[in-house]
Amino acid sequence: MQEPVSGDTNVASPTLKASVVNPAANPRRMRRIIAEDPEWSLAIVPHLSELCLQHIVSNFEKNPVVDHLLPEHQRKVLDRISTGLPLTVTANLISDEGYWKRCCTERWAVCDVSRYGGSWKRMFFERHLENILKYFIPNTTDPNQVLEVIPLCKEYVRKLEIDQFLPPVKLDQNKEEDDMSDSGSDVEFDEFCMNHYDLGVLTAALSHLEELHLTYGVKDCGMNFEWSLFDFTYQDCYSLANAFKKCHTLKVFKLCRSKVDDEKTRVLIRNLLDHPCLVELDLSHNLIRDRGARAIGKLINRSKLEILNLCNNRIRAPGAQAIAHALAKNSTLTSLNLRINCIEDEGGQAIGHALLTNATLTSIHLGGNELSEPTATLFSQVLAQNTVLTSINLACNHIGLVSSFPA
Amino acid sequence: MSRAALAEGEPEGPGQPRARRPSLNAEDQEERIAARRLRIAARLEAKRREALGEDPDAKKAEAEELSRSHKQIEESRQRLAKLLNDGTQLLTNIQVAADARETQRRAEEDELKRQRLEKLENESKTNQDKFEEITSKWGSAKGKTIPQDLWDVLNQQQQQCAMLIEEKNKLISELQQELKSKDDQYVKDLKKQSDDIHLLLERMEEQIRNLMKTYRRELTQIEKAFELERRELLSSNKKKWEQAMQAHNTQELENLITRMQKVEEYEKQLNQLRVQDAEEYTTIKNQLENDVQILEQQLQQMKAIYQLNQEKLEYNFQVLKKRDEENTIIKSQQKRKLNRLHDVLNNLRTKLAKQIKQFQEENQNLTADYKRIVEQYKDLQRTMRHFAAIDAQTFLEIWLMNEEEAKGLMWKALEADRVLHTQQLGLPWVEPDYWFLDNVGPIVHRKAIKSASKLAQEVMALTESSPQEEEEEEAAEDGRKEAREAGEAVRPPRHIMVKSVKHILELLCDESGFLIESKLLGLLQPLEKHERSLMRLDKIFAALEIDNEDDVYTLVDFFLKFKAQQVVSSQREERTAEEGPQELAGVAAKDDEGSAVLKEAGTAHRSSAVSLSSVLFHPDDVLKALKAFVRDFQKPRDKRPQVKKVMDERDNSKDSEYWEALAHVIPEPKLKVWDALEEALEKYYDVLSQRAKLLTDLDGLQQQNTELHMLLHQYLTSKVNQELLIPPTHVIELMSP
Repeated sequence: MQEPVSGDTNVASPTLKASVVNPAANPRRMRRIIAEDPEWSLAIVPHLSELCLQHIVSNFEKNPVVDHLLPEHQRKVLDRISTGLPLTVTANLISDEGYWKRCCTERWAVCDVSRYGGSWKRMFFERHLENILKYFIPNTTDPNQVLEVIPLCKEYVRKLEIDQFLPPVKLDQNKEEDDMSDSGSDVEFDEFCMNHYDLGVLTAALSHLEELHLTYGVKDCGMNFEWSLFDFTYQDCYSLANAFKKCHTLKVFKLCRSKVDDEKTRVLIRNLLDHPCLVELDLSHNLIRDRGARAIGKLINRSKLEILNLCNNRIRAPGAQAIAHALAKNSTLTSLNLRINCIEDEGGQAIGHALLTNATLTSIHLGGNELSEPTATLFSQVLAQNTVLTSINLACNHIGLVSSFPA
Repeated sequence: MSRAALAEGEPEGPGQPRARRPSLNAEDQEERIAARRLRIAARLEAKRREALGEDPDAKKAEAEELSRSHKQIEESRQRLAKLLNDGTQLLTNIQVAADARETQRRAEEDELKRQRLEKLENESKTNQDKFEEITSKWGSAKGKTIPQDLWDVLNQQQQQCAMLIEEKNKLISELQQELKSKDDQYVKDLKKQSDDIHLLLERMEEQIRNLMKTYRRELTQIEKAFELERRELLSSNKKKWEQAMQAHNTQELENLITRMQKVEEYEKQLNQLRVQDAEEYTTIKNQLENDVQILEQQLQQMKAIYQLNQEKLEYNFQVLKKRDEENTIIKSQQKRKLNRLHDVLNNLRTKLAKQIKQFQEENQNLTADYKRIVEQYKDLQRTMRHFAAIDAQTFLEIWLMNEEEAKGLMWKALEADRVLHTQQLGLPWVEPDYWFLDNVGPIVHRKAIKSASKLAQEVMALTESSPQEEEEEEAAEDGRKEAREAGEAVRPPRHIMVKSVKHILELLCDESGFLIESKLLGLLQPLEKHERSLMRLDKIFAALEIDNEDDVYTLVDFFLKFKAQQVVSSQREERTAEEGPQELAGVAAKDDEGSAVLKEAGTAHRSSAVSLSSVLFHPDDVLKALKAFVRDFQKPRDKRPQVKKVMDERDNSKDSEYWEALAHVIPEPKLKVWDALEEALEKYYDVLSQRAKLLTDLDGLQQQNTELHMLLHQYLTSKVNQELLIPPTHVIELMSP
């Protein structure tokens, strides 16, 4: 075996790492059979094919040859090529999961492939793109950085989970604006400074995009906290709404912790009306009030929405009534979450009445809504009549002694 | 698991109820249907359970006696599910608590906000007032001209402004204070939340640990249960196996022992058989040797015979060969002959066929001819009948014409005779009276056929009127003639007696009442016996289609013959019975004599039978006879019309006589008179005619004379005479001189 020799030359090769790590090869040389190494061979001179493969591996970047090889050789080449190869070479060429698994495990410590449909390649590209977007700073980062990746990954990306969007960097005004941002009245900055990255280009290009999880905010800001870091501006909202229009395959949309208020909700909802695929909508932890709720109620009956999550918003009785009104006529929605709102008895009763006629909703969460006995009695009636409902959560309410529902 | 449970539970669980269960392979149809229903129900049940999840599994576990391992698995599952449920509850509790806190916080926040807003509003209002006060004061201050006053006012204003600002600042500081406290609160909340998260994590970890532990424990328990079960199963199986082995061993041992015993027995039997066979063998051997010797002797003899036979046979063979040759020759000859004959036969056959054909044709021709001739004959008959009728007609007409003519002539003759008598002879004339004078048309003398009923009446009347006479007749055969004369009208054929006719008619009258209508019988009751019997006979004859005298006689004749036959046959039988043996014996010897005797006897017998039959016709036989008569009489009856026609032919014997008579209406003496008269008259006539002739001649001559006178005169007087050279008158004068 001539591994030590070749190992010295190809330091980056992961397959030969063992020999690099283990410089004491002398005892190996003494042995005739090395059972733990599957590639060990007694032959002193390597086969020509072996040498060729080695050459292919070492020059893969310049001359990628995979498809013309025999299956066993393909296997060997894919096992040996470096994970650091540029994506432009590998992205559309290599479909082997083993290679992408190596890439993923090398790059991230935690890899749960089950969340990506069991596909390592998809995981790699999705996370790669997420990474790029997470650290994209408008006006500073080169937008080509994103545009270059798009053609490589558009075939594989189905889901984007972006939990932070960085705002543009303000160099000298940072400190002065501390006070100003509190009031939230500086319009001129919003106009040209505070807009985040526009997703329109991306969603139009990604033809298989199905899920989009967004959070307009900054993670781990620590003591550099500024309110402006967490602004979801109108411009952002419009650009996002336009992005929806271009993305017809979208099924799941989540926009959490982004200070979405009524106006922005209405803008978003207007663009989501009659969307062909949208199934799940999550607008939890925002600032949606009754008007936004009314818009959402309108959306319920003008789309194929099945799951709706509005937890931790500011919806009060009128908004809840609007949603209930929509719910009474709906036949697609199966799950509704209104946790931590303030719909009170009026809204609760409206929803209860809606459930008397609705026959599709299976689970509802009304925890922390200041509900009390009238709603509870109505719900007992609903439970007697409705046969579809399987789960109700009424935690953190003032129901009194009537309660007998599972948590 | 449920499937496994199903699979395993089925064979061992319901072992007992299975016996009661209807099987699919049962003979009874009902049972099979029931079995299928059960199977479908079970399948549906299984499906439903699968859909519902584990809950029904538990039920099933209870329902069906499961093995320990399954029970263990079920228990573990329940325990784990409970644990999991508890764990999630524990975790969600934190969330719920956080939610609760949040809602509470929100409520408080709202309250605080409201208070703050109120406060701020109040503040701003009061401050606004103050500010307005200050601004109003600015106007008054402008009006001050005195610096001192102005200063005072300004000071005051300053103070007031300062106060306002101070108040504002105070408010700000308050709010800032609040903010700070909020910040603290926020930090606290953060800490709390991080605590919560830690708690959550801890709980999760603990939960995971617990779960792992319990899972492991349950797993070990399940394994243990399985192990135990397996061990039990093994031990039970081993026990079974051992038992089976032991049983098998004992069985084997027994088998071995019996086998040994059998072997010994067989050995004994073998020995015995061997000894017996040896003995038999020796005896048979001896016997066979003897046989061999005998057979050898016989062989020698046979050989000698064989040689002899061989020679004989050779000779015979030679002879036969020759014969065979001859036979072949003969055969060939015969064959040739046969062929020839075949040819002949074929020729003959063809000839025969030809002839048959010919004859058939001939036959056909002849039949055709015959048919044609029959047709012609029929035509001829028809024409003949036609011509006969016409002939008769013409005959009649000719007859009438001739007769008329003849009569005319006759009357003429008679008239002449009368004239002669009265005028010439001067004698009185007597008109002759002859039979034929009145006759007109051809002479016809038909025999009147009497009707049957009339005959019957006569017969009956006759017999009644002259019973004594007939008794006499009976006595002698000649009496018949007398009887016939006496009977006048009744003239039966020669051989039938009137008496017998009467007898038979009486019998008929009595016996065949069935032929008469019952209605008529009723009507006949009041009549006299004689009359009645007559009426009856009349009806019977009508029924039997007997019309005239002849029929009655044929009937009587038939009856008599019938009777005679019966009598003869019965008597002959008797006779044959008596004389049979004698005759048989003497047949060969006296053939002629025997037959003669027989004949004589037959004739004698017949005569006696005839005489007897007239009296002794038994009433019982009447019906039979009648039946036979009706049967036989039907045919002759059909021929009757032809017979009648033939009989229609005319009798022309009297015709010549008639005509002769007509011709000789003037008798011979008269004719002689006439001849004489004629002669005389002839003479007279001659004289007269001569005279007449002379008279006429005289007349002629007188006339001629006058004419000549005339002519002469004429000539002489004519002028021509003068012109002529020589007038005739001259000539005459010359001549005349």
